Amino acid sequence: MIFNSIRWRLQAWHSLILVVVLTGFGVTAYRIARGNQLRRIDQELQQRLMIVFRPGPPNDHRLAKGPPRPEGPPRDRRPNDFGHEHDPSEWRQHMQEVIANAGVLEAGQNNAFYYIVWQKDGTLQASSQGAPKEVPMPAEAGRTEGEMGDRPGATTRTRGEFREFCQCLPFGDRVLVGRSMSPDLIAMRRLALWLFTAGSAVLAFGMAGGWWVATRAIRPIEEISATAVKIAGGDLSQRINASDTESELGRLAGVLNSTFARLEAAFGNQVRFTSDASHELRTPVSVILSQTQTALSRERGAPEYRQTLEACQRAAQRMRRLIESLLELARLDAGQERMKQEKFDLSRVTRDCVELVRPLAGDRSVEIRCELPTVECVGDSERIGQVVTNLLSNAIHFNHEKGEVRVTARSENGTAFLTVADTGVGMPPEELPHIFERFYRVDKSRSHIQGKTGLGLAICKAIVEAHSGTIVVTSQPGTGTTFEVRLAAAKEEES
Amino acid sequence: MRVLIVEDEPDLLGSLLQAIREDGYAADGAPDGEEGLYKAESYDYDAILLDVMLPGLDGWEVLRRLRKTKKTPVLMLTARDAVRDRVKGLDTGADDYVVKPFDVDEVLARLRALIRRSASEAQPRLEIGKVTIDMAARTVTSQGELVTLTAREYGLLEFLALHRGKLVTRTMLYEHLFDENDNTLSNLLDVHVSNLRKKLGHEFITTRRGHGYSIDSAL
Repeated sequence: MIFNSIRWRLQAWHSLILVVVLTGFGVTAYRIARGNQLRRIDQELQQRLMIVFRPGPPNDHRLAKGPPRPEGPPRDRRPNDFGHEHDPSEWRQHMQEVIANAGVLEAGQNNAFYYIVWQKDGTLQASSQGAPKEVPMPAEAGRTEGEMGDRPGATTRTRGEFREFCQCLPFGDRVLVGRSMSPDLIAMRRLALWLFTAGSAVLAFGMAGGWWVATRAIRPIEEISATAVKIAGGDLSQRINASDTESELGRLAGVLNSTFARLEAAFGNQVRFTSDASHELRTPVSVILSQTQTALSRERGAPEYRQTLEACQRAAQRMRRLIESLLELARLDAGQERMKQEKFDLSRVTRDCVELVRPLAGDRSVEIRCELPTVECVGDSERIGQVVTNLLSNAIHFNHEKGEVRVTARSENGTAFLTVADTGVGMPPEELPHIFERFYRVDKSRSHIQGKTGLGLAICKAIVEAHSGTIVVTSQPGTGTTFEVRLAAAKEEES
Repeated sequence: MRVLIVEDEPDLLGSLLQAIREDGYAADGAPDGEEGLYKAESYDYDAILLDVMLPGLDGWEVLRRLRKTKKTPVLMLTARDAVRDRVKGLDTGADDYVVKPFDVDEVLARLRALIRRSASEAQPRLEIGKVTIDMAARTVTSQGELVTLTAREYGLLEFLALHRGKLVTRTMLYEHLFDENDNTLSNLLDVHVSNLRKKLGHEFITTRRGHGYSIDSAL
């Protein structure tokens, strides 16, 4: 489903948030503009009313001069400023004058302001010509809508397209000033349309931007998934092209790349191991086949058959050694070989091993020098003995005639050290990282040493690591090679 | 025919030498690449069996160096059965390829084919007058009747037949029919030739006194 894709979800949320924000913004802007407009109209209306029905005594010089100047400063007046509370008839006459002088009746054409004056009983006293018909008299003033609420006796209202402001006058009279809002409404509608258009444009732009950003953000994921698909298809050499290493996805790509590299290396090792193992088995099988086929090709005497059988036996022994080593490695790999956790003297085990390989050393006139003080450590003495024997036999095999092997044991800071150093041919530094690899041989061609499977050091390393120890090698070409095994020493109180 | 076998596994080398000698060839062995290369350059072998994995100088290197001076047919023996290895071997100049473990019969058959091809004989059958030599079965018939030959006699006949019309010197015969372990007296060669003449007819092999022998191409 396309709508399940992250890009679509990102886009949907992004658009939703954008719509909410834009709508909120647009509605607020519209409301504020509308409120401002209404307030402006109201102020205008109020100003009109104040100018036209400017209260004052009949002999007010301003009334005598005619209509008040519209630019006259609006003065905030209290209702009692109108005065005349005491004399209705005088007030009525004053009102007549005001209406006549102000030209109230002529006002109201061409959508301008209109005025309506009611007496207390609701009789229409005066009405502008341009006033809309049948304007209801506002109810008893007091409660007002709009911003004029602070003025007692004043009220504002919106009636259809008209906005009206009504002021109570003394003696229950009321005056109303109103005007049509249609130009304002048109302007507001235009504003609304403009806001909507602008909002839509911003939304479209935002969505396009969001799509672009989402696409950019998703692209590394798509690259990762494409690469992963290829790797799943068997091409382990594929890597994610992680140019941007700083972003989260870049780092993920980096992590995945290193995972893929390790996977490839592991697969490569596996393939090479299988190929090496089969290669190691091919040679003894070739020997057996060629020996038996040659022997069987004609009648032979007993000595010849004997020779053939001996050769076959040698080949079979070689295969047995190889198979045993392979099985041992497989068990060590699977963690099936349980290492005993017993306390033993590393030096005693080492001495036993030295005695075991002494005949071998004698054959090659190699001298073994030991420096073996008691070093108690914890582990499987039999397995450690296997490691030591292997290291010793290597040290003898790769030594010069009349060379020397030094075996030292020591204990330091809770770690037991065993060092086997030879004065042999040594190894170039570039070989050292590989020598614990299975079937790795420093001499690229098969080194022709009987009993060597090419797995000895790999087994040593596996055994030492099963003891949570380490085995390291240092070598100097032409001078010799030193192997050092580090194991956990037995604790002092136990020893 | 004389064959060199370069193989570091002594039991394998021994059985191959025995099998090839019993097939009527002279065979020398070399346990490593350096000795193998030395021998291959020193003698005109008819074919070389070369193991790839050798101590010292490996098979590829021996082959590469040998190809600078000699065109001796080389049959590679290898434990690696990867196409890449086979292609590499053939590209380096090997003529054929056998993967370990192999059947001795197959190696012998491939050796025969190599030697035949190098003598520009595509057919395993050679007909010289009334005599037919089947190089695949290693049998000889004269006038339709099977002629029994010893391995040495057969080797001599085959060598002469493959060099038909050319003079084959005694040195060539010594080099190709006897290996380094044969300390054959020179007149033994004459004995073999005379035995062949008895079995196939006196005029079959011409003696060029002081030079050697030949089989006339007109026969």
